Amino acid sequence: MATNEEKDALTKPDTPLSRRGFMGSFASATFAGLVAPTMLAEVNLAQAAPAGQAGNDLVPLPDVPEPVAGQAPVIRMMRDLRRALEKPMNQRRWIMVIDLRKCTGCMGCTIACVTENKLPPGIFYRPVFTETHGKFPNVSRRFIPRPCMQCDKPPCTSVCPVRATWKREDGITVIDYDKCIGCGYCITACPYSARSFDKGYFSSDFEGDGLQPYETLSAHEYGVDRVQSRDSSPVGNARKCHFCIHRIEKGLLPACTVSCMGRATFFGDGNDPKSLVSELIGKPNVMRLKNEMGTEPKVYYLE
Amino acid sequence: MTDAMTEKKLSRRNFLKVGGLSAVGAAMGGAGFRAISLDEAQRLAQAPSVKYTYTADVMCPAECGLMVKVENGVASAIYGNPHVPYNAGTICSKGASGLQMVYNPNRIKYPMIRVGERGEGKFKRVSWDEAIAYIADKLTAIKKNYGPESVIMDTGDVTDKDTYWRLFLAFGTPNCTEHGAICDTPRRHGPRLLLGGKRIEPDIMRPVLLRQPDGTLKNDYSYRSKLIIYAGWNPFTATRINYESRGTVEAKLAGAKLIVIDPAFSNTAAKADQWIPIRPGTDPDLFAAVLRYILEHDNPSDPSRRYIDWSFKDKSVGWDEFETEFRSWWKKVDPINKLNYFTPEWAEQRTGIAAEKITELAHTYGITKPAALVWGMAGTGHHYNGYITSIIGMALNVITGNFDVPGGVIDTELVRSDKGGKATGKDFFKREVKRTVNGAEVVGEQEQLHMDLFGNWVAAWDDAVGDYPRRMLDGVTLQQGPFRGHTYPVKAYILRTGNSVITGSATWKWQEALTAKDKLGNYKVDLVAYIDTPFLESGLYADVVLPEASYMERMSLSDVYPSHPVIWLRDVVIEKQFESKTPFDIMIALAKALHKRGDPDIKPKDFWEKYKEEADFWTEALAVAPGKPNVGVPLPYPQYPAGYKIIGTPESLEAGRVKIDDEKKEIKGEPVTPQWLREHHGVAVWPMAYFRDPGILKTSSKKFEFQWDWTETKDNKTSRYGQYSKYNKLIEESGNVPPGIAKLGWKKYPPTFFWFETMWNSHTNPDYTQYQAKYPFQVISSRVHHSMSGTQMIDWLGHFPVEDLTMPINDEVAYDEILVGADPASRGRKRRIPANSWSIAVIQMSSADALQLGLKTGDLVELENPLGHKTRGKVNAVETIRPGVLRMPFGGGGRFSPGLGKNFYFKDVTPNANQLVDPAAISPIMGMPGYNDMLVKVTKV
Repeated sequence: MATNEEKDALTKPDTPLSRRGFMGSFASATFAGLVAPTMLAEVNLAQAAPAGQAGNDLVPLPDVPEPVAGQAPVIRMMRDLRRALEKPMNQRRWIMVIDLRKCTGCMGCTIACVTENKLPPGIFYRPVFTETHGKFPNVSRRFIPRPCMQCDKPPCTSVCPVRATWKREDGITVIDYDKCIGCGYCITACPYSARSFDKGYFSSDFEGDGLQPYETLSAHEYGVDRVQSRDSSPVGNARKCHFCIHRIEKGLLPACTVSCMGRATFFGDGNDPKSLVSELIGKPNVMRLKNEMGTEPKVYYLE
Repeated sequence: MTDAMTEKKLSRRNFLKVGGLSAVGAAMGGAGFRAISLDEAQRLAQAPSVKYTYTADVMCPAECGLMVKVENGVASAIYGNPHVPYNAGTICSKGASGLQMVYNPNRIKYPMIRVGERGEGKFKRVSWDEAIAYIADKLTAIKKNYGPESVIMDTGDVTDKDTYWRLFLAFGTPNCTEHGAICDTPRRHGPRLLLGGKRIEPDIMRPVLLRQPDGTLKNDYSYRSKLIIYAGWNPFTATRINYESRGTVEAKLAGAKLIVIDPAFSNTAAKADQWIPIRPGTDPDLFAAVLRYILEHDNPSDPSRRYIDWSFKDKSVGWDEFETEFRSWWKKVDPINKLNYFTPEWAEQRTGIAAEKITELAHTYGITKPAALVWGMAGTGHHYNGYITSIIGMALNVITGNFDVPGGVIDTELVRSDKGGKATGKDFFKREVKRTVNGAEVVGEQEQLHMDLFGNWVAAWDDAVGDYPRRMLDGVTLQQGPFRGHTYPVKAYILRTGNSVITGSATWKWQEALTAKDKLGNYKVDLVAYIDTPFLESGLYADVVLPEASYMERMSLSDVYPSHPVIWLRDVVIEKQFESKTPFDIMIALAKALHKRGDPDIKPKDFWEKYKEEADFWTEALAVAPGKPNVGVPLPYPQYPAGYKIIGTPESLEAGRVKIDDEKKEIKGEPVTPQWLREHHGVAVWPMAYFRDPGILKTSSKKFEFQWDWTETKDNKTSRYGQYSKYNKLIEESGNVPPGIAKLGWKKYPPTFFWFETMWNSHTNPDYTQYQAKYPFQVISSRVHHSMSGTQMIDWLGHFPVEDLTMPINDEVAYDEILVGADPASRGRKRRIPANSWSIAVIQMSSADALQLGLKTGDLVELENPLGHKTRGKVNAVETIRPGVLRMPFGGGGRFSPGLGKNFYFKDVTPNANQLVDPAAISPIMGMPGYNDMLVKVTKV
């Protein structure tokens, strides 16, 4: 077993692992921790959007009339987000707040995420679970959307034998598809079951006929254009929610947040005391899933 | 990303390919036919072109404003349009999954003509010319032999009906109809009688655009409601009105109390402060008990009992008559429970809700202001006597002072933007026609040939589609108006985006009507055409099948029940797929074909000379927008005279680029056009106001009318008023009482409050108590996201469990893949649906009932009604439904068209609720099928 320090080192982004280096680290995790994070062979795209460059490629805010009072929640969140983008990356702390009182169980977020990220059949980054309790007529039902918790202490990253997954400076846990070998350790390690294995399915495997036109298009996860193909990443990799980094960096909210029929999902910078999300989690009705595991999730639920 | 980086990236990926392959290969097993190769993937990833198009949804009739991402000409992701306040950027799973409708493998790809018998599903592929010629030949012959009125144009969806209606109205038939007839007509009845309106919704659309004291227009996001009551209305899952999802939960957090009255624990009920599990079909009983309590206990001088805002009387006519008639029932004794009508104890016996809960509900509603009492589709519209629910509901909202106040209720029909105008072809209704009736020539208007309004359903202003099968079998004899005595058969049924066989009343009755033959062996309905994007069951009975362009491939307009005038454009997002054509294309093609065959009623100047392209049609349809009066507080346009009709773009009205016509009382800015909408985020938004009555009321007196047929004499001139008066005039003239109301013992439509019992309810109607022992269960159906007739093939949606109604409790199924087309035979591909992986329609049953019957979740049962009709499905034994009630998704099961995708393979184990509908239990005033009035027994299979 690796020590905690070694685990931390492993979770640091993009050590210059050659293929040979990877084999070495796989063989001996102890030594892997000693490899210095220098001499980057290439820019790691999962770390794109350098600090303080907001405003270059930002999508304009929706052109809606001024509110009578305060700010419209979506506009406010977009402004919060853009303010965060002005700061260096390591000063941002992206968090999500899901108000369970407002989730109407429409599952719109689940599908908005599927189309946003062009997820193949069988992979849902953000399922919504339904729980029903009680005996007639005293019954209750609640809906629990489950994105990646983007834990501050992610149990999934340290188990990765090839350092293909780590926590970015802004708190989002990312996967480098080109490094991931699909071993599945991280999938097992996640206490929230937020990671899935991409088995390489296409809709034709289930729906019949040929490829769907939208399956021939690039996904834009992590700002990289990739068309899903049977013989290249991310097929055979672990996959999970990444708070729509590629949208955030254009000044847009994650797809789940904008689609939400109940306006139950909120997104923003937890380091910014003026952000809507900071305001929301400063209430007594806040909770996190499996808090007792010490994972320090950055997805907060309001009850 | 730079090109250099792309290259590097790809080379790295190539390098890793070898390592990745073994794992991937193992994972894929024997996966399907086509996948993208790496080379292809690399090619495709190069320089994608990306654009966003604003449009409007049609995945469900909520028609939300959308923003669709188009990459390389392919629609790739669907977002809500944040500029449309109706949905304010939000969309549900159904809206988001439109790609799987637009690109569905089972879309109709090309025109087809039937080669087998109707229902067999055997077709040959034909060209558009052949298909149009086939239809035009038939229509021409039918018009010559039987008259154009023998043709029914049923546009199914309300959405985008205008081109079809225009063509067939011009052709000469008044029998053009749409979905409304089988939607919820009893639910609309109260608002129509009292206000001239239709659709009551709570004031929870946010934002609303309000004029500020400083003259600016701003978005108001604040919620004012203190109480929202949904009776038989489930906006979270049926999503008919988008803003009621966020609006309801946000109003609640802002302090509103939510009460949901529903036999089943709906997703909306899951958010309620109180769920009242009412017995199906007893909403009128509950509402009547609430009204009686409020009338008996109202005390204007006691603040804790000040239920009624008596100022409503100044704005009303006929309240005294209404109240007198209502009170006349109080002394009568119910034949079943022997109690006086409308008391809490009486209502307890009927509704199954404790009397003290009923009085608490009445008191809470009376004392809490502002409040919204809203009744729904299935709970009101799908019952034989649902009219009474909507009449009392409307009366309650008016007398408690909750109509069009902030936080109260809004009749959205009265405040939405006008659209359509002359493009709809409604002027053709007034065209003069001649017919020989009983040997004499009679002159009248085209409309007076209408099979419902001048036949058996005089007050069915939304038509009586549920009664079409009977007329297809027996023909039409007009009963009213100048043509009474005129007979004609139904010879053509043109169905567009509807699925009457599954949804238009009893499935078996529609099948019987569409396959009935005359003595010569010819089908009685000589022509059945089916026009749609997906291929649903009714298509199996068609002679000609036409592929209609999907909602992303055509134009038109949307404005679904917002709180103030808002209109958004449905725009062309992608190219037409396969060989499909737009409704506009089809109108022009068919018009030209009829003209070529010498049809004197189809004139080039009304069609292709008038509309050079699709946008021209919608430009004309927009010319009337918004067409609403400048009334209310705050006044939408304080710079213009109050009461005047507003027309034109918000921009021109704001800038003062208008003409004011004092004679017509009209303020006319620059007309809204499709191009203007495109340049303004796809939407036009005009200001909201409250207290818009009486300006917006469409009653004959411009007041709230609690009387529906009365006369007044003024200046020696006697006039007749009220919404029923014109129908009663016809009846008086003809002496023919419409059979629906004759069955109730009525001679005319009643002048004010009325009461009658629903059918097939053993708890409230003495005619049916005899069935209670043998048929102990009431069956109801409800709409959920993917159980609607036309979207069940969506793979993404099919995985979701919803409301205990569609659940992943399927058995494993292996089958040969079939795709819709001229030769729907197996393509030699084996498919497998693993057990418990696909959400199928189930029968939701109380676990207490299941225990008693020895049933458990997953057991297959047969439901049989007293008429001997049956359906089968799996039991889902749960705590979320009232004992004694079985619930199924509407149109959710027994789906036998291969166009339904995976659901097709579960057709024998999923229930079709509408097999159990009594086709004779058509609601008496407006001809609506009584979908939710039926009794069954349950047998394990």
